[in-house]
Amino acid sequence: MATEKKLTGGSLLFNVLEQHGVEHVFGYPGGAIMPIYDALYDSNVEHFLCRHEQGAAFSAVGYARASGKVGVCFATSGPGATNLITGLADALADSIPVVAITGQVATSAMGSDAFQEIDIFGLSLACTKHSFQVTDINDLAKVLHQAFAIALEGRQGPVLVDIPKDVQLAEVNGCLDELVSLKNKVKLPPANVGSAIALLNQAKQPVLYVGGGVGMANAVDELREFASITGVPSVSTLKGLGAIDPEDENYLGMLGMHGTKAANLAVQQCDLLIAVGARFDDRVTGKLNEFAPNAKVIHFDIDTAEINKRRVADAAILGDLKVNLPALAIPLSIATWQGKCQQMKVDFAWDYNHPGESIFAPAVLKEVSDKMPKNTCVTTDVGQHQMWAAQHMLFDDPSNFLTSGGMGTMGFGVPAAVGAQVSRPTDCIVAVSGDGSFMMNVQELSTIKRFQLPVKIVLIDNAKLGMVRQWQDLFFNGRLSETDLADNPDFVMLANAFDIKAKLISKKSEVSDAIEDMMNHDGPYLLQVKINAQDNVWPLVPPNTANDKMMEST
Amino acid sequence: MNNYQLMIKADDKQVVLERILQVARYRGFLISGIHAQVNTGTNIGTIELLVRSERPIELLVDQINKLIDIKEVKVDNSAPQQCIA
Ligand SMILES: Cc1ncc(C[n+]2csc(CCOP(=O)(O)OP(=O)(O)O)c2C)c(N)n1
Ligand SMILES: [Mg+2]
Repeated sequence: MATEKKLTGGSLLFNVLEQHGVEHVFGYPGGAIMPIYDALYDSNVEHFLCRHEQGAAFSAVGYARASGKVGVCFATSGPGATNLITGLADALADSIPVVAITGQVATSAMGSDAFQEIDIFGLSLACTKHSFQVTDINDLAKVLHQAFAIALEGRQGPVLVDIPKDVQLAEVNGCLDELVSLKNKVKLPPANVGSAIALLNQAKQPVLYVGGGVGMANAVDELREFASITGVPSVSTLKGLGAIDPEDENYLGMLGMHGTKAANLAVQQCDLLIAVGARFDDRVTGKLNEFAPNAKVIHFDIDTAEINKRRVADAAILGDLKVNLPALAIPLSIATWQGKCQQMKVDFAWDYNHPGESIFAPAVLKEVSDKMPKNTCVTTDVGQHQMWAAQHMLFDDPSNFLTSGGMGTMGFGVPAAVGAQVSRPTDCIVAVSGDGSFMMNVQELSTIKRFQLPVKIVLIDNAKLGMVRQWQDLFFNGRLSETDLADNPDFVMLANAFDIKAKLISKKSEVSDAIEDMMNHDGPYLLQVKINAQDNVWPLVPPNTANDKMMEST
Repeated sequence: MNNYQLMIKADDKQVVLERILQVARYRGFLISGIHAQVNTGTNIGTIELLVRSERPIELLVDQINKLIDIKEVKVDNSAPQQCIA
């Protein structure tokens, strides 16, 4: 239904955003997006100026992951648009609903190598779920509605809408009211429930392999109900953490390259693997043809293309987990196996004893986890600190642990925390970062300062690109190539330069007080935790090795 | 190496051909031939794609099907042929 009033493309954009309930956007202005920024001036949407478009994209990702809403980011044409790419790739790999709006040079100039012209539409093909370029103002509202529908529908993902400057300026009758549903929706075959039930009944040693899809499908309750009715011992991927209650007696922790020994051994021994919203990623499976070698597979997913992609499913249950998990939740008699798994959990529990004065990162992160208030949302960067956070912190919901899983993008943690804090202003947000990763989007401290976001940053400082250094030590004969960061800046002074309170600790005796000071501080805070540069993440399944052949120390 | 022929129907958008080619290449399918009728002014574009790969064709069909603009993907010679060359 059209209203009488004439609107510019820029104003129409904000009308549609408001129609979709968008309250916050992250972005950075420039020439080709000026009409949109002009319309922003009159809009109710709140804009968060980031200090790099990559920061804006990650903030949109963090916002979406922490809140379940679509994250929205803006960038200008050319370099603004290309700076979004890493964030879009990250969102694609982790199936995060993001709508990115880019300005483009005017349609008359397109294809002429105009100033700040780049074919972002072409670039988007490999790093978005879908993308649009709007060359006619009359298509704008429809395309924007479609963008939101596509971002959220089925397996979620990022959508880019490129809008030339003249389209932003053109006038059109008021915005379309209808919200589109997708006509091309892939029809999912009926769930293969019968054969899956048979597999469940035959299984003596089943394992539930929980992935990020559970959180995305909003099916945490259904999954926990399934786990409780069936009693199947469970393991989680990096992105699945929080889906299973971490206190569940049958939960064995994370599996894969840095998974717990109990989780990996249980999976290697199981006779039925029930994959739920998980995709058999190589960081999970280790050597693929030796992964869960004795197991039949039931695979629940929303994406047909994940079935049989890396591991053949004996029963594929396609569709909505909220419907399909309850359909298969039947009690099983697997007490012996449960007992065996629980025993492994005890036998291979984490050991926090650590000789010497130097700080043990796993113990620090465990203590942060123990002391953080309920509903704290933790973001991480990428590297050793990320794996330690995944191993030693406990999350009671997937929306409380935001980490770059599929893409493993350094620089994710701080801007994702910005987005999380904007979406959940009253919850505590903790960013666990590394000294390498932190510097990749350090400019976002400015965003924290500008909006006085009380983000707590725990900077695990080994003065190394630690994860790469660990691999060089273990697999490249200790030839340490370009992984030393001994010349890092003074992080406390750096934080102070952004009016962020900061403290450096380097001894075990300082840890507890420092964590409490950080948690009790009202505003943003940076806690720099100096650790031994030689500390490694254990266990570690070496590349292309079966998951039961993990290394536990050197 | 197996040869396959795909018959694809898509919403006739300018970019659709590019999307299909990108997915085919990325997913490990060598394009050995293409015949396309797109941008014809009708709403439906048709693309015949000849591809070669060690990988099962279902992998490509599923991925092409995921493209938003795709209406239908059919494998024409569903019994894969051995490549002679
Ligand atoms: C953007 C990007 N570049 C490079 C890498 C490769 N990489 C993975 S972990 C790592 C080291 C990270 O160092 P730091 O943030 O200090 O974490 P640490 O491992 O020391 O805890 C590197 C370089 C990456 N994951 N992302
Ligand atoms: Mg480091």
